Amino acid sequence: MVEEVKSGISQLLRERRPVEEPYGEKGYHLSVDMAPKDLIDVGRFFKEKGFYLACALCVDFRDYLELVYFFAHHEGHCRVKVTSRLDPQAPYAPSLSSVFGSALWYEREIHEFFGVRFEGHPNMAYLFLHGGIDFYPLRKEKVMVSEEDRALLNSFRPEEGEDTFFINLGPQHPSTHGVLRVVLKMDGEYIERAEPVMGYLHRMHEKMAENRTYLQFLPNTGRMDYLGAMAFNLGYVTAVERLCGIKAPPRAQYVRVIATELNRISSHLLWLGAYLADLGAMTPFLYVFDDREQILDILEGITGSRLTYCYFRFGGLFNDVDEDFITGVRRFIARMRGRFQIYDDLVTKNVIFINRTRNVGVITRETARQYGVSGPVLRGAGIAMDMRKKEPYAAYGEFDFSIPTGSYGDAHDIYLVRFKEMEESLNIIEQALNGLPEGPIMAEKVPKKLKPPKGDLYHVVETPRGELGIYIVSDESDIPYRMKWRVPSFANLMVFPELVRGCLLADAIAILGSLDLVIPEIDR
Amino acid sequence: MIEDIVGKIGQEALRLIIGLVGVVAFVVVNALLLTWMERKVAGHMQRRIGPKEVGPFGLLQPIADALKLLGKEILTPKKVEKPLYYLAPTLIFIPALTSFVVIPFDAYLQVQDINVGILVILALSSLTVLSILVAGWGSENKYSLIGAIRSVAQNVAYEIPLLLSLLPVVMLTNSLSLKDIVEAQGKIWFVVLQPVAFFIYFIAAVAETNRTPFDLPEAESELVAGYHTEYSGMRFALFFLAEYTNIFIVSAIATTFFLGGYRGPLLPGILWFFIKSYLLVFVIMWFRWTYPRVRFDQLLNFSWKMLIPLTFVNLIITGGLLKL
Amino acid sequence: MKVPPRPSFIAGVISLLKGLMVTLKAFFQPVVTSQYPRELLPISPRFRGHTKLLPDKDDPTKNACIACGICVRNCPSGSIKKVEGEKREGEKKKTATTYLLDFTTCSQCGICVETCPSGALAFSADFNPAGYRREDFYYDLVQEFEKRKEVK
Repeated sequence: MVEEVKSGISQLLRERRPVEEPYGEKGYHLSVDMAPKDLIDVGRFFKEKGFYLACALCVDFRDYLELVYFFAHHEGHCRVKVTSRLDPQAPYAPSLSSVFGSALWYEREIHEFFGVRFEGHPNMAYLFLHGGIDFYPLRKEKVMVSEEDRALLNSFRPEEGEDTFFINLGPQHPSTHGVLRVVLKMDGEYIERAEPVMGYLHRMHEKMAENRTYLQFLPNTGRMDYLGAMAFNLGYVTAVERLCGIKAPPRAQYVRVIATELNRISSHLLWLGAYLADLGAMTPFLYVFDDREQILDILEGITGSRLTYCYFRFGGLFNDVDEDFITGVRRFIARMRGRFQIYDDLVTKNVIFINRTRNVGVITRETARQYGVSGPVLRGAGIAMDMRKKEPYAAYGEFDFSIPTGSYGDAHDIYLVRFKEMEESLNIIEQALNGLPEGPIMAEKVPKKLKPPKGDLYHVVETPRGELGIYIVSDESDIPYRMKWRVPSFANLMVFPELVRGCLLADAIAILGSLDLVIPEIDR
Repeated sequence: MIEDIVGKIGQEALRLIIGLVGVVAFVVVNALLLTWMERKVAGHMQRRIGPKEVGPFGLLQPIADALKLLGKEILTPKKVEKPLYYLAPTLIFIPALTSFVVIPFDAYLQVQDINVGILVILALSSLTVLSILVAGWGSENKYSLIGAIRSVAQNVAYEIPLLLSLLPVVMLTNSLSLKDIVEAQGKIWFVVLQPVAFFIYFIAAVAETNRTPFDLPEAESELVAGYHTEYSGMRFALFFLAEYTNIFIVSAIATTFFLGGYRGPLLPGILWFFIKSYLLVFVIMWFRWTYPRVRFDQLLNFSWKMLIPLTFVNLIITGGLLKL
Repeated sequence: MKVPPRPSFIAGVISLLKGLMVTLKAFFQPVVTSQYPRELLPISPRFRGHTKLLPDKDDPTKNACIACGICVRNCPSGSIKKVEGEKREGEKKKTATTYLLDFTTCSQCGICVETCPSGALAFSADFNPAGYRREDFYYDLVQEFEKRKEVK
């Protein structure tokens, strides 16, 4: 596939040729640099080949602004980095939103943070910084916002219509999604249009990353997605290790896998409880917390924290695990296997639940590719892509587990996928525990001040919500130059306005719940 | 002679007054008891203890809640339609109170045995629908209005199976009086003769009282609180009390019609009545803490397309069997 | 893709009854909650409360902090406000006299514990600190260390 793409782009662009990159060090196979005007042609080329836009970001290199796009493929293994340089005084670029729907919000974000103007973009209003900005936050120098840009940013006006009225879903939700506000244009009981409004929890982690050393940024990663904090920690730590060429010892890798899988189970359990509380059944919420308590006690025994872990370090772990941990995990596995029957009887087979979630929010493969959906939502639509199998990291390659997929792509299939994923996670934990090697937990030569070599890296891990991408640009100092977090909930939320058109309000709640969004990671 | 007439009227009036006072006292105590029971049942089903601090086993918790609600400021939003807004909480309590007049607690513990007893209850329960609409409209709030409209549609849809499932029992006893119906269950309870009717009646009763799985009008996780959004303090308490009293009334009617009312060996009749009624109340609460909510169009479809045809079939079969 | 079939009526009713059995069974099972604060649960020894100073290995009467300031520089949130020390008579290294920690911004990451060259910091097991004002959480770890010494 890499060869095919390389020859295709060479033919398309003629003067600029794609460069093959070492995948192990960089995280992508090809990189292409091109003029901004060629972006749409290249975008169309990738769309024909079945690629999806994984991430779009911008890096401010003082002399020029670099737009970076990552295209990846669901089935094959090929990731392409497309870059384009812009003049910092007049940053104009064509918008890819006509080709890929996911470009809509990425470009809004780049516009808000860097001031890049995308021509042809339908809606350039504020994404996160609704309070108003005077200068673009992520630029290295202070660039003031021009008057016309200010007007453009303030331009969100939902159009009125006859016989329709507006309802706000949120930002205070009775269910634990987080602070998301969705402006719904309702025609009686049916939804005509939905527009998510984010930014209530925006803390600008990407700017914080440019002011802290690599080690100092580690607690921030747990705060981005607090339900799957281990996976975010793991992603960051393995990304920096890959950048610096540090290898963690096998014992550390196994413990990392066990901790991350336990966290995955606890995240899925919470999702289950919250989803059913949305739908009206309060009891599974409490049962779920009982199970989660066991996991949290186990993880507290090794890390000391219950929700926002800061357990992994570059090169290994903060501290070793003890016998209590191993017995605790074994007891938990045996108990959890018995508990699945309860959830099966109470929830999965329940005819009211099936009627609420069947045929609701159907995601087709085309929609998934258009918006870059990932995680259980994608697997429910039938595409078996799991980063743990596709690009194995941290000892996942040594375990034997399957990827559950749905066939129809509705909310019920996504629910079944998550349920089966919990069972698979238990298998992984059991295998890891049986094969836990002895040895050190920290690599030998880890420098106190970590100074990665110059370059960039795009590292991908699988969080409970989907594909997390971490893009680090390093300039040899101990502070990252640019760090971009491509979070799965951001892409999953983009699908929501499409799915919910023409649905009842009760269905909108069911769809929103099935996407398993965690708003802090969207807002970063 | 005038003393005789006055004496007789006086005795009747005294009996009525005592009965009515007893009913009101019972309604209040019952509402408090049911709030406690709901929280305890919910707690234990969720593997936790419900209220436990206030009084032994938390029995005084409802009193603490009532005192809190009484102490709240009685807010009236500025834009509401004042007559409708003030009318709704009282209007919703009237059918609850008056339905107790005809319910037979024991063989001679009925305030007044009206010979069209069940018709009185059913007619007055339609007043609930009206008061919900009044509450939703008078609140001048689009969420309340949506909740009220949904509630009215749901109540109207489920009144019909409610009525039609009680009809076979009336056919079996040839009388609309509640006392006669209980007396007619001397040999065998009607639940054995009319299981389908019991099943349908129970579902319709749960839907009538706006309980999960049919509690979309009060869906907390969707819009705000439905038709009683704008009410706070004691007015809100009245809505809640009316809901719990309605739960008891539908259970009492189910007991009377299908489970033999106050009939039973050994224990006094009133105790049997309470045991059976509260068992059904427990089942209604059990439903609430087990099932998710049914979507609104599925709810209406279920009533119009499944329950009503089923009741008609049941009626026809009962009528046919009675003829033979 | 074809829509999956809906469950039949009988299957639906059976599923509802099964659900009822689950909650009924739970109704009779013992509760899983513990009645805090009447009943305290054991806290894991690795629990991350606020940091505390450890005694010096050679001389347990003084704390092990040498006031180097590495933790101050490494803290991501800037929670360690001031570390001052003095060199007493006849000792090679400084001993801390003031160690101000602003616990309201601490994220319990453990970087200070890990990077301390003399191993002077550890997590305490104080899991329920409570106070009426923000200033109640501005700890002076040296004072706490002295208080702990007196209690022993």
